[in-house]
Amino acid sequence: MEFGWNEELDAFRDEVREFLREHDTPELRAELANRGEAAQLGPRQAGLREALEDRGWVRMCWSEELGGEGKSQWFQFVMTEEFAKKEIPYGAGFGTMVGPAIHRFGTEAQREKYLPGIWANDITICLGYSEPNAGTDLAALETLAVKDGDDWLINGQKLWTSAADTASHVWLACRTDPDAPKHRGISTFIVPMDTPGISVRPIMTISGGRTNEVFFEDVRVPSDALIGEVNQGWYIIANALDHERVWIGAGGGLRHIFDRLLAHIREKRPELLEDDVVRRRLVELELDLDVMEGLVLTNASIVASGDTPTMEASMSKIWTSELRYHISNVAMDLLGHEGALTEEADGFAPLGGELERTYRASPIQRFGGGANEVQRDIIARRGLGLPR
Amino acid sequence: MDTTLSETQRLLRDSVRDYLRNEVPFDRIRELEREGGADQPLWEYLQGAGYLTLPFAESHGGEGGELTDAAILLEELTRRACVIPFLETTASARAIERHGDEALADEVVRGVIGGGVTIAPALQGSTPDNGAAPRVASGALTGERRFVDYGAEVSHHLVEATEDGEPGLYLVEARGEGVTTDSLSTIARTPLAHCTYDGAPARRAGGAEALQFLRRAGRALCAIQCVGNAQQALDMTVEYVGMRVQFGRPIGSFQAVQHHCANMATQTLGARFLTYQAVWRLDQGTASDRQIAKAKALASRAGTEVTMQAHILFGGIGYTEEYDLHFFSRHGKERALAWGSADECLRLAAGTLDEVQPWR
Repeated sequence: MEFGWNEELDAFRDEVREFLREHDTPELRAELANRGEAAQLGPRQAGLREALEDRGWVRMCWSEELGGEGKSQWFQFVMTEEFAKKEIPYGAGFGTMVGPAIHRFGTEAQREKYLPGIWANDITICLGYSEPNAGTDLAALETLAVKDGDDWLINGQKLWTSAADTASHVWLACRTDPDAPKHRGISTFIVPMDTPGISVRPIMTISGGRTNEVFFEDVRVPSDALIGEVNQGWYIIANALDHERVWIGAGGGLRHIFDRLLAHIREKRPELLEDDVVRRRLVELELDLDVMEGLVLTNASIVASGDTPTMEASMSKIWTSELRYHISNVAMDLLGHEGALTEEADGFAPLGGELERTYRASPIQRFGGGANEVQRDIIARRGLGLPR
Repeated sequence: MDTTLSETQRLLRDSVRDYLRNEVPFDRIRELEREGGADQPLWEYLQGAGYLTLPFAESHGGEGGELTDAAILLEELTRRACVIPFLETTASARAIERHGDEALADEVVRGVIGGGVTIAPALQGSTPDNGAAPRVASGALTGERRFVDYGAEVSHHLVEATEDGEPGLYLVEARGEGVTTDSLSTIARTPLAHCTYDGAPARRAGGAEALQFLRRAGRALCAIQCVGNAQQALDMTVEYVGMRVQFGRPIGSFQAVQHHCANMATQTLGARFLTYQAVWRLDQGTASDRQIAKAKALASRAGTEVTMQAHILFGGIGYTEEYDLHFFSRHGKERALAWGSADECLRLAAGTLDEVQPWR
């Protein structure tokens, strides 16, 4: 057991902070604030991505085979944490999830065709998983891909396809054998979004962000759009999700919200600190943040030691997502009516409207990325070994 | 950063666990509860096998290890409901060794490691004492301390007392002249004493620093006991609901039961991290009262809530005296209150909110 950071990681943390100071400009902030409506990444965000790739930070912890440096996973953790603190998305996107899948399951030709573009962010990817009738029960998906000569013909509809409006490609799960048991009749494809027959309709969410539904009408793709074997898709998806879940709970910038809340109270509402009940509620939030940190670091420790967490990633995800709601809710409550103000209430909103924004955006953290009820199933079954 | 156990720590944990499982049956704990007293044979085994040397300096015959290692051992002892003054003796002797009188430290630590010396801290608790706070004059200690764990079982007390208005720690022979101990019965049924000192010969063991370290170590290690109780109750529950069949299937296959177990596991793991982190920081000399209070608050809650939820999931069998679950719910609740309850610790944390700095 060791609860401190070594010099190498401390130095790297400083390097990341320096990097962020360089790129954290008012122009970048303006782009980020606008990202709900923007159809494309702004030039600063794109520049940030490029600079990250230049430093080799996106894949530094991956194996050399995958173009990485095989560094300890703690480097990734430190980077994610520093970005989260500043609430700047580091914008690696789904490429970091799909790239390894293509590397593992694709042919040599497919690797050459896609991977350099994915690593350079010339190829950006949206996930074509969910459908109107396939949410948590993803294996119930119905979008059909039928062999037609050498090509595949795709028909169906995807839902909650975030970034479908900006991505160059969709990583698409389709049914390729309607007669097989549902987990065994799915295949994965990579399809350019400008292929004829694909149309995208925006859906605005209560967080202010945009997601989409995507329609596929006689979309014709060549045979090499298929990644892996026919009907091997469920295995590939599960594998890729595992790769994603490792870091999903990291930090989340919630400590940062607490810091800003405390600063706001100290500066603008000092009378609140004379109330013991308020002080106790703030300490309770602090405890929740401490637990979050504990769960996240425990999970990361297991990953860094080369093992696969059985339940710790799910615990981190549940705790972080529920705390995102809880911390914004308690904070708004403590502040009273001013807690309801949005950033449009010029100069009046506490924390520049961050509390209201966080509260509004919090539900998706709990039902998305594997609903918390499903995460509790995973803890019980995979972690604790309880029977089905 | 690495929350996983090192190879040595894993070996330590497993060897103690195996020994306790084989050699300390729960009926032994029942016997101790009936007859009172501590588990002397177990203490002698730990002493003989060298487990007591773990956190002490090599210059005093110790292993040169850390309190963290002692914490791993303590968790295993807790998970078998063992009744020995391990926390008390370890924290006391380490406080003297680290911050107290050097000559006395050598004597005390060698006494612990070699057998014969066991120590109970007798500190000012958060519950107001009714009697007079101990004072020392001309090497004699007079006053009263309530809530002394193992006060009647140990060879020495390490008493918080003032001398000429200065606070310090004083070593008193528990069975020497001028010391009276009265047993207090608790929900845990483990030894607790009300101690009265009437001119008891006392040697100065340390000043404010040693006292502060002892308070911190006691609280952090007590948090480990809370986590140990929670972990044991959780593991017993998972095993039980996995095999208890109702409606033709194990009740552990029902989602409602599974989600309770998932929440118990999450609460326990969160408290585990904070608690071991607190002990580790003590070793490093970077601990603060505030951090330790927060860790103890979380651990106290886990030790209470997880062990009580275990009863709810066990149903009737876990409610009986003959089953072993009650050791952990009773010990869990008592440890939740000892060395500062969740509420007392939160009060401390709330009172020191000004110390909170923006994140790293």
